[in-house]
Amino acid sequence: MRPFKFSSATDPAAAMQAAIANVHAQFLAGGTNILDLMKEDVARPNELIDINRLVLSQKNAVADTAGGISVNGLAKNTETANDPMIRQNFPMLSQAILAGASAQIRNMASNGGNLNQRTRCSYFYDVAMPCNKREPNTGCSALQGINRMHAIFGASPECVAVHPSDMCVALVALDASVKVSDSKGSIRNIPFADYHRLPGTTPHLDNNLNHGELITAIEIPKNNFAGNSYYLKVRDRASYAFALVSVAAGLELNDNEIKTIRIAMGGVAHKPWRASAAERFLTGKPATEINFREAAELEMKNAKPLEHNKFKIELGTRAIVKALSIAMNGGGKI
Amino acid sequence: MQAENKQTELTPAEEKLFEELMPEDAAEIATLGVQRRHFLKLVGLMGGGIIAASMFDNNALFAQTAGASAARNIPPASLENSVKVTMRVNGKIQKLETDSRMTLLDALRERLQLTGTKKGCDHGQCGACTVIIDERRVLSCLTLAATCEGKNIKTIEGLAIRGDLHAMQAAFIKHDGFQCGFCTPGQICSAVALMSEANAGEASYVTEIIRGKNRPLKLTDEEIKERMSGNLCRCGAYPNIVSAIREVHSGKSA
Amino acid sequence: MPEPGNPADRIDGRAKVTGAAQYATDYAVKNMVYAAIFKSEIAAGKIIHINTATAERSPGVLTVLTYKNAPKVKETPAVWGGGFLQTTKIDFYGQHIGVVVAETFEQATHAAKLIKVNYEKAEAKVDFKKHEGEAVKAKGTDRADAIRGDAEAAFSTADHKTDAVYHTPIEHHQPMEPHATIAVWESADKLVLYNPAQVVNGMQNAVAGTFSLKPADVRIITPYIGGGFGSKGTTWGNIILAAMAAKAVSRPVKLALTRQQMFNSVGLRQENKQHLRLAASDDGKLTALAHETTTHTAVNSEYIEPCGDCSKLMYSTPNSLITYRVVPMNIIKPSYTRGPGKAPGSFALESAMDELAHQLKMDPIEFRLKNEPDKDPSNGKPWSSRSLVQCLQTGAKRFGWEQRRALPGQVHKDGFRIGYGVGCGTYPVNQRDSSAYVKLTGSGTVVNAIVEMAASDLGTGTYTILAQTASAGLGIPMKNITVKIGDSVLPPAAGSVGSVGAISFSNALNDACVKITNELMAKAGKQFPAGTTAAQIMISENIADFETRSESKAPEEAKKYSSHSFNANFAEVWVNEATGMVKVKRFLAVTAAGKIINQKTASSQIIGGIVWGIGMALTEESVLDPRYGNFVTRSLGDYHIPANLDIGEIETLFIDEDDKLSNTLGIKGIGEVSIVGVAGAIANAVFNATGKRVRSLPITPDKLI
Repeated sequence: MRPFKFSSATDPAAAMQAAIANVHAQFLAGGTNILDLMKEDVARPNELIDINRLVLSQKNAVADTAGGISVNGLAKNTETANDPMIRQNFPMLSQAILAGASAQIRNMASNGGNLNQRTRCSYFYDVAMPCNKREPNTGCSALQGINRMHAIFGASPECVAVHPSDMCVALVALDASVKVSDSKGSIRNIPFADYHRLPGTTPHLDNNLNHGELITAIEIPKNNFAGNSYYLKVRDRASYAFALVSVAAGLELNDNEIKTIRIAMGGVAHKPWRASAAERFLTGKPATEINFREAAELEMKNAKPLEHNKFKIELGTRAIVKALSIAMNGGGKI
Repeated sequence: MQAENKQTELTPAEEKLFEELMPEDAAEIATLGVQRRHFLKLVGLMGGGIIAASMFDNNALFAQTAGASAARNIPPASLENSVKVTMRVNGKIQKLETDSRMTLLDALRERLQLTGTKKGCDHGQCGACTVIIDERRVLSCLTLAATCEGKNIKTIEGLAIRGDLHAMQAAFIKHDGFQCGFCTPGQICSAVALMSEANAGEASYVTEIIRGKNRPLKLTDEEIKERMSGNLCRCGAYPNIVSAIREVHSGKSA
Repeated sequence: MPEPGNPADRIDGRAKVTGAAQYATDYAVKNMVYAAIFKSEIAAGKIIHINTATAERSPGVLTVLTYKNAPKVKETPAVWGGGFLQTTKIDFYGQHIGVVVAETFEQATHAAKLIKVNYEKAEAKVDFKKHEGEAVKAKGTDRADAIRGDAEAAFSTADHKTDAVYHTPIEHHQPMEPHATIAVWESADKLVLYNPAQVVNGMQNAVAGTFSLKPADVRIITPYIGGGFGSKGTTWGNIILAAMAAKAVSRPVKLALTRQQMFNSVGLRQENKQHLRLAASDDGKLTALAHETTTHTAVNSEYIEPCGDCSKLMYSTPNSLITYRVVPMNIIKPSYTRGPGKAPGSFALESAMDELAHQLKMDPIEFRLKNEPDKDPSNGKPWSSRSLVQCLQTGAKRFGWEQRRALPGQVHKDGFRIGYGVGCGTYPVNQRDSSAYVKLTGSGTVVNAIVEMAASDLGTGTYTILAQTASAGLGIPMKNITVKIGDSVLPPAAGSVGSVGAISFSNALNDACVKITNELMAKAGKQFPAGTTAAQIMISENIADFETRSESKAPEEAKKYSSHSFNANFAEVWVNEATGMVKVKRFLAVTAAGKIINQKTASSQIIGGIVWGIGMALTEESVLDPRYGNFVTRSLGDYHIPANLDIGEIETLFIDEDDKLSNTLGIKGIGEVSIVGVAGAIANAVFNATGKRVRSLPITPDKLI
């Protein structure tokens, strides 16, 4: 790790002002990703501002709001996944969080940090390798390299990395929004689908959070998916591994007819990927495996695989069908 | 710091050990009692010596050497961005001045001489460094010591009470829940914290019923395996680890 | 022989569950500083210039060693992998090119990242698929072509045959404890190294040779080893750099490899392409077997794991052809990895056996039983013991093999396809020279023993089985026995490699126990009834202390026999029909390995081999980027060793064998054989479940959808 100045903040405004004052400062919440990246010399802040002791206006991990719930940006993944309101009303979010990392890491990781975690592309992680995300204009090693884990949607010649979060896949499916404060005290709400970016020509930017801004909460509107939802994660190892492909699925059924549907995918793009084409196809149709399959194939038509990840098209198709089938049957485990 | 002259009662077996390995100090021990320096010397002399059965209490030995650890807890000459932090480790207040970069793992191992906590990967990918902070299992390799101000930290060295093994430690021995032993402190800390998580009814990815909380939760083997998957074991002791945890969790001897 | 404490809890268990067990970097050494290695970022060529100025100015840095200023040492073949800073030449990506020493760990690791290197790149061979065609005959005579009969002729006229290529990727040992050293120069020519060593004396000699020291002036201290699996069986350059660094700063130095550095510092299991052909007559008798392996080695040094070894002796066939072809490449030298050769080799052989059984419409167990050899087909020697038939029959009954459907893809449940598979394994028995020291002290009716040898315990249970052996051999309860191993000042012994540990250590200690008993009888100068123990003589003769030392080697007679452990492995897999994820739901290993000294630790070790086999079959693969020669899978997040949830229900059974022909105690070794046949059993079960024959490991979800 490069040397850095350490400070601990309790007042959000002061923390944000300190960050604004130094373009090389970063916030430290759970630390599970930033410290990993600093040890690899990928992240190089010269100042860390510990925000674990900030006193936010929202005290609880999860609060009831008029339109739904508000999830504390600094709350830990574990307490979020186990909050009774989330487990009861947004079980897909609990499952997604619990599908990620390990118990220890979920105990440490903050919700805001989960959103801001960086890709696990191994070229990004290895400073000896060219990488446009880590160092703009050096090239993308993965594009012509070992890209089995990489994107099939929304990639650019500059970057084919995927976003590693499970939680975010559920959040985009749930139409969440990210509540962000800045040092001047203004607050903005970013729709979740707009929070993360596609790489385009600016792959070094993962999301639309500005330097010095703080995620104070994630808001999730009420929905009627709780009884028919699921988060499916397909990986190379049964647990403690990043997704090859994952699917968050929620259904609101009217008898067997799909009234509303949400499908999002992980492990396929630079951002959590909303399967809008499949959603449009299925809305109003009977919830059958045949329809699920047709919708999934429709969604996957737009995929642009790389040399080593062509399997993600069939795997993604199957994962959508499987996740929807489990959701349709009440969303138990596999 | 432990008083140099504090006298320690020795069991006959321990007496035998001192006589055997340190005959030159036997007279002194007989008159003054065993002292910290004797234990330190014994540790050196034993090298790899392992006495069959548990007649020699490693924990008592460890407690004696803790005095030496305090002596080593000196910040290096060229400390950068130093941070002062006070934390409670295994019930004992520890004041440290560290480089801002120092992880809790390195603080425990390199400064406090609590080397039971292991560095397996240093990147949050193996679980060997698991410790319990404020009742939660966490990775000490991804925790800066600087963030531990006022925290209550429990490591593998703090689980046994006055030489009596924690039930989980005893179960790991009984079920042979380890081979090389390197991941074991992390496994055991993780398993101990898991018991509280189950009591609180916390869910995992393989929990059948997410909606509505069962507390306390009765863990199936599948649940134990998923919840322990953050602790890798290259020797492959997993089935025995599950047996040990199952026994402690169920309260039934197997 | 009595069996004290079988099964016994590990005597080092308490130390391991309390954190008191001291591994190499756990020692508190005064005045110690920290080192960090830096490595080449090209795969072939040479260093033009290394700029260390920034690193040297970095706070806390004491020195930076590179080829420019490193002390000259002898590059002996006993240290593997090169990288002693003696040259500017680069042979593989990740070769050590320097080491930074600083006051703290944080300062050393940071400064190591400040080194700037200019290289002159040469063309590197790192893509095995591109260069496998250049493979030539091995230099080593033990990998020479082994030909019996005329396999080609037999293939041309065979009723039934299989002809397929099986592929296994580079795999890494990745013990939980990364290789690490504390190096202390006690004087200008006396070196103490706290360093994990599977072969204590081997490492002592290798380091002594490199620094031109007398072996007695190098002390290796390694009471606890955090796993090795072969990677700590040979000595690698990191320990040399630790000692160099300590010398350079005249202070003790701690040098631990990072997990990322482990991927190109301490060997690997090489990528193997195995061409396997089998032929059989209508009645299921094998008529020919050809096992041809193509693999890679280092550019300047050859190591080839013996993939064809199982095929030489597993089944009876009149015609056999075993060959190796190897291409030197710019990849770190491959090395012994659990079940060397036999683990990947048995995957190919046991898969092919399954394929041919399927073609013959014959049960795969029956097919194996039909081809059971009554003597070693490779050399004509009688078996010292061979219980493969009992392994298969006992296992089939216990596992419920009769429920297996002969036709694949027949059993569906809850979205899974379920299948059964069998695979067999073998590993040779060898006793190597070892010596032991026993000291008895008597007081009244209590006799205590200290037993010593420079053996090692890397989780294998050496401490415990030596206490058991001494207890039986001396008539002393285990609790009165102290076992000292893991230190080169103790009597020289074999290492914990190639399954020779338990055989060599226990026999040597047993010999010492016999010797001390005889010497006590001689000292007493009178006759004792048969079976009188050393402890009884100590008490009856009121002897205060007595000691002996003995040296042991394999019995001459043993050479007349072919001596091997055998196993039969049974797997039940559940393949998720949607996702292709494979779960090994149930696994049974039946092992015939002679005398099992401790059923508990032995069972654990077998389970460990199975978990390794599951990793090999399903999750483990090291991937090189052919453009650079670096490992893309350079962390435990990318290189997937199995996690707890990957492992289903595992059962182990042992077949009793009383084999005194191989060694005095009839011990045959279990650490290596435990992985052999496992991947084959799983791949065969996947075929039985799905009808898909996967010949390229690991069987990841993408290969089954």
